[in-house]
Amino acid sequence: MALSVRSWVANEGGKHLVLVLWLGANTLLFMRTFLLYYCGQQYHYLHQMLGLGLCISRASASVLNLNCSLVLLPMCRSLLTYLRGTHTVRSRKARRLLDKSKTFHMACGVAICVFSVVHVSAHLVNMVNFSVRYSEEFPSLNVARYRGEVRFPGITGILLVLILFLMFTASSYCIRVSNYEIFWYTHNLFIVFYIILIVHVVGGALKYQTNFEAHPPGCLRANQTNPDKTEEESGQAEGDGRSCREEARFQPNSPETWLWVSGPLCLYCAERLYRYIRSNSPVTIVAVVRHPCDVIELRMLKKDFKAHPGQYIVLNCPSVSSFENHPFTLTACPTEKKETLGIHLRVVGDWTVFNYEVSLCVAGGIGVTPFACVLHALLDGWRHFRLRRLYFVWVCRELQSFYWFAELLCALHHKLWKENRPDYLNLQLFVSQTDGLQNISEERYRPLSSRLMIGRPRWKLLFEEIGRTNKHKRVGVFCCGPKGISRTLHRLCNSDRYSGTTFEFNKESFS
Amino acid sequence: NGKIEWAMWANEQALAAGLILLTGGIVGVAGQFRDREFAAYSIAAGVFVCLLEYPRGKRNKGTSVERTGQYCFTVCVKSFGPLTRNYYVRAFLHAAICVPGGFILAAVLGCVCLGIASLIYLAAAIRGEQWEPILPWKESARKPVGESIKLPPQNPPPRPPAEMRRKRAEDLEAAAYVNPIAVTANDD
Repeated sequence: MALSVRSWVANEGGKHLVLVLWLGANTLLFMRTFLLYYCGQQYHYLHQMLGLGLCISRASASVLNLNCSLVLLPMCRSLLTYLRGTHTVRSRKARRLLDKSKTFHMACGVAICVFSVVHVSAHLVNMVNFSVRYSEEFPSLNVARYRGEVRFPGITGILLVLILFLMFTASSYCIRVSNYEIFWYTHNLFIVFYIILIVHVVGGALKYQTNFEAHPPGCLRANQTNPDKTEEESGQAEGDGRSCREEARFQPNSPETWLWVSGPLCLYCAERLYRYIRSNSPVTIVAVVRHPCDVIELRMLKKDFKAHPGQYIVLNCPSVSSFENHPFTLTACPTEKKETLGIHLRVVGDWTVFNYEVSLCVAGGIGVTPFACVLHALLDGWRHFRLRRLYFVWVCRELQSFYWFAELLCALHHKLWKENRPDYLNLQLFVSQTDGLQNISEERYRPLSSRLMIGRPRWKLLFEEIGRTNKHKRVGVFCCGPKGISRTLHRLCNSDRYSGTTFEFNKESFS
Repeated sequence: NGKIEWAMWANEQALAAGLILLTGGIVGVAGQFRDREFAAYSIAAGVFVCLLEYPRGKRNKGTSVERTGQYCFTVCVKSFGPLTRNYYVRAFLHAAICVPGGFILAAVLGCVCLGIASLIYLAAAIRGEQWEPILPWKESARKPVGESIKLPPQNPPPRPPAEMRRKRAEDLEAAAYVNPIAVTANDD
């Protein structure tokens, strides 16, 4: 399948732009700090003693500062939800980028781990050099107390690596899916990590020279010869030929990690506090409905609660566990006519189905729950949305699953027929398990049984059909289902055979 | 849900600790520290731990996710039988491996991380967990289909005895039926 540049840019462009900017920022910071310590006059003597290890450890430390501050920002979910809702984030493009916030968080996390390894390795080499190249000439520069002593490295560094080790090993996909509690509790160690990080640099092992105008590095003192260097070598140094007016004076680097990190840390703590306060007002359960295939629907009431279709709520049930919070998609949002909110159980984000003129929604099994809210909203009133046509494809393993929302689908279908917009909703239901004769036999669900097909959908044909009937339009593709389907759809969106129609892919993830 | 499988976390930790040991050993050798024998030991220990821990075990409930290309490692590790299946053995093995690493600066971190992994393995072993290999799904696991289903039926379907099938003169209502198409005698 040929890749279309325009489709690719529409779907992947924003994401890759952010990636390039982030990589650029990291590279720039690394090179700048590296060169500062490599060439800077105030670090000349320190560099002589420690060599490349100094430059690499400081450069990786500055990259670590950047990533430790960036990693918190994508996790301020309430703030991001607020930004998505306001008019400052006007375009669809920016909203789709905000959906990728968790991926960005993981990228920063991986960068932190990688550069921690570099940083620790470089400091190990520094430790050895502090000991082997103990400087008698500038005793205040030393960390070792005598030549050959290997001081035990800072305890803060060891603690930081251990906490990072615990957090990182518990956050692999495998563990998140099987034992979410381990991931959650270890990841909350971040606060200890940040506190130790802020005090980490306070030790002041690395010092810079404060008076390099008066004492240009490499200059010779009037009545002192350096036994380690020959005439030519010291002649090569910066201040060759000039005499020193005074002894070299050194001062420890002032810690700058707190500058980077305290802003985002305060923001994130405020976010958690806000979430906690909001969660304190109680919720009343109004009705519990049992559906086939082990699905339960809960209808609840909460004061001053507003939501948009596609958003999810996080539930905490103290009788199950006081610390755990789990996300569930809303299947019915509170409106003026009906105040209750409903969930059917499962996850995901605030979508923009209504912002496209044509949308394709693909649901796999229980993945239909976020779309249920969309359908409810259309049932309340479809005219005021920008959306003109909705293709709704629902694939289930068993026929019984369709009964979860059979009423809703038929109600919407009838309403659109009565209001003379039969082509607004294009419904296709697929049962993927092909054994046995399967049909929806109830008379009132006739619109569903006539649109029921056995077997899996043929995505290419569907895309071609949508492309032919909606030429030169931008179609929003929304998928909530198994990885296989979403990967296929993503690939199809990026290919180019659709007579001028662009398909923009939006995906939600379960965890 | 409810039962946490500690062995899975211990496995991730041990793999990461192996890599840390390996990295520390390489830095120790390349940076020309003294005590290079310990650095070399750290490299060897790191490689060994990585090889042992690379294949993931099977979960008790739910789908297990394999690591890429772990099948050959699974076969090797499985061949040691109870030595690799039992987590007590792994816990003590990792504890023993990590001790020499504590003697050089470069391997201290790897040693502490492996020690933590060893403790978690101990916890897993106490709760009775075991390492099961993830093997490819065998065709024979499906229910065997009976051979008789492949032959066409030899006998007609069972019917009630002839007396019940015959229409009764006493019960004309039940015996009568209406022809859907009009039946006329052949006049020709």
